[in-house]
Amino acid sequence: MRRPGIRSLAGGAAGIVAGVIGGIALTSTSTASGPALAVPGLDAVHIPPVLTTKDEPVTLRFAVVCPPRADGEPCDGSGSVYVRAGQSGAFRRLTLSRGEVSGEGRYFVELPREIASSREGFSYYAVLRDDANGATVTVPAGGETAPQRSFPLADAAEVVLGPHTFGRDRAQDERVVTAPWGSEVGEVGLAGSRELGFSGPSSFDVAADGTVAVLDQVNGRVERWSRAGVEATSLQVSGGLADFALEPDGTMDVLEPPNRTIPAPVLRSFRGDGSPRWAQRLSDRTWAKLAAGPAGPTVQQQPSEQWLPVAEHGSALDRSAQAGRGRPGRPFANGREVVVERVGAGELRLAELVGNAVVRSWRITSATPLGEVQLAEPQGNRLVVVTKTYTAERSEYVVLVLDRSGVSNSFAVESLEWAESAPLARFRLVGSSLYRLGSTRAGLSVDRFDAEVSR
Amino acid sequence: MKIFLVAFGVGFVLAGANGADAYHRFWANCNYDAPTFMTTMTRDAAQDYANAARYEGYQWGGGCWNYDDVDSYPYDAPGNPSAHGEGGDCSGLTFKTWRESTDDWRDGRYYWRALRNVHGPYTAGDFKNGLGAPNHVVAKSTAGVMDAFASSTHIGMIFTRSLYGGDQIVEAKCEACGTNIFYRTYRSDPGYSGVARWGWTG
Repeated sequence: MRRPGIRSLAGGAAGIVAGVIGGIALTSTSTASGPALAVPGLDAVHIPPVLTTKDEPVTLRFAVVCPPRADGEPCDGSGSVYVRAGQSGAFRRLTLSRGEVSGEGRYFVELPREIASSREGFSYYAVLRDDANGATVTVPAGGETAPQRSFPLADAAEVVLGPHTFGRDRAQDERVVTAPWGSEVGEVGLAGSRELGFSGPSSFDVAADGTVAVLDQVNGRVERWSRAGVEATSLQVSGGLADFALEPDGTMDVLEPPNRTIPAPVLRSFRGDGSPRWAQRLSDRTWAKLAAGPAGPTVQQQPSEQWLPVAEHGSALDRSAQAGRGRPGRPFANGREVVVERVGAGELRLAELVGNAVVRSWRITSATPLGEVQLAEPQGNRLVVVTKTYTAERSEYVVLVLDRSGVSNSFAVESLEWAESAPLARFRLVGSSLYRLGSTRAGLSVDRFDAEVSR
Repeated sequence: MKIFLVAFGVGFVLAGANGADAYHRFWANCNYDAPTFMTTMTRDAAQDYANAARYEGYQWGGGCWNYDDVDSYPYDAPGNPSAHGEGGDCSGLTFKTWRESTDDWRDGRYYWRALRNVHGPYTAGDFKNGLGAPNHVVAKSTAGVMDAFASSTHIGMIFTRSLYGGDQIVEAKCEACGTNIFYRTYRSDPGYSGVARWGWTG
């Protein structure tokens, strides 16, 4: 090989340097025109006091959530609450004050006693403002058409739960479904890893004939267990931790969370054969629970903290139509609705409404902290409630069967939650049968408990 | 001249390889600016900050995003920090929202802007155990707005409590989930501990 001359070496080196500089300059031009900055929208945070005790002072608190300021300080907000005693009539405007602390909501108003103590309760909505740009948000989104409604717990049955004793949970009356992890029919999908955590079937429902339908979103299907065996039906779902409800006509509703490409929650409706009917974005940004209501699927949503119907008689409702129909409680076929409010560490308030009147109510206090309320449904002239109780190391579900005078039956149920599911999708009630979705390292189970039986 | 042209081509291809990588990776948009020291640190400013990270994606080991409401790289391989996609991971989002220091012995109070690429020294498990000068463990039943629940593999901050006893959690949970606010029941889950940051001023 001929030895290269000094001119050749210099030319080669200069060529490489020039090439690298040229390449970097070209690609730097490309990256400099990367994603543009935009401004996130205005949002609100509010926990409505939907059930109040006698003479309880009421302070309505709101957080105004703005685009982050360049100086790192909280946003300059303001707002008004439009409130009235009772559930109808004209609203009165009250201006929100700006407090020094924001843990419960920086913007607040103390309700006048004549409103807070009204025998018919009170109703209100708020308009919050970002003073930096004049943007406003109404909460709940239904405004005066579907305001927050608060009711007094008059004549509530008082239930005092002592310290919970863990490990005395009741065994199931029947194991209805056992399914190992996998993708064959009769198996259920498991996603994730030991490092990131596991998620299994995210929800389930039980038909009136006892058929158990499990949303196996990992495998993109629903599986139905009946006396005839198990069958699988494909569903076009995203695979996120969705909630699931069966309607009486066999329609299947899947409530999906936001994901990397769809930033808002969506309810998807499917026919019994799995073919899609429609998909509808929710009114609010976040959901807690899906249920089949008397006229169609209904969803407990945030920030409104209301139950909003997403469809009526088979037709989807757009976002404003949902917001305009918001109610404080979950509606049931008997024309009643059940209002739930967890308060503090260990208090649970419940009321059954007919229209805007409380017909029955309960105030439950527990010495052991209470977690989420998985289920609160009428069963005959009783109300079945499933809530979690927990310490730092343990948790169990407490099942309470309530009547007018208090607790007619109660028992504890083990929380079999090895794999994650949708948040309030662990229990379903059909007649007096309470079903639990559980998971272990081996797979999924659905167990039945007879809520009427005391052991 | 011939040698120069050949070498120029080689150099251009080499630069192009780097440049292509930079073009396809979000971190090319990020910076390493110094944070701003703050004397105030309020929970609602933290809500503003975390809320603005919604829709901006998830990146394992990441801590850099913009505010265009889109995950620029939504299909990065999960668990791969070299993907350099948009978004924080759970602990990166918490670190920046809680205005912490990269030195675990400092209180911090550093306002890290969205495009500042920083994850911080803590894993979810570190937060769960209250490691680091600014962090501590709290009772789950009393954990409040912009405190957090942490397991050995995940941490999410309490955007607010909710009527049914669960919490609205702002979190970066996984590549497919992105960053958003979800209703969760971490409070009653024995796998999660309550954790918080010292020093809120309002």
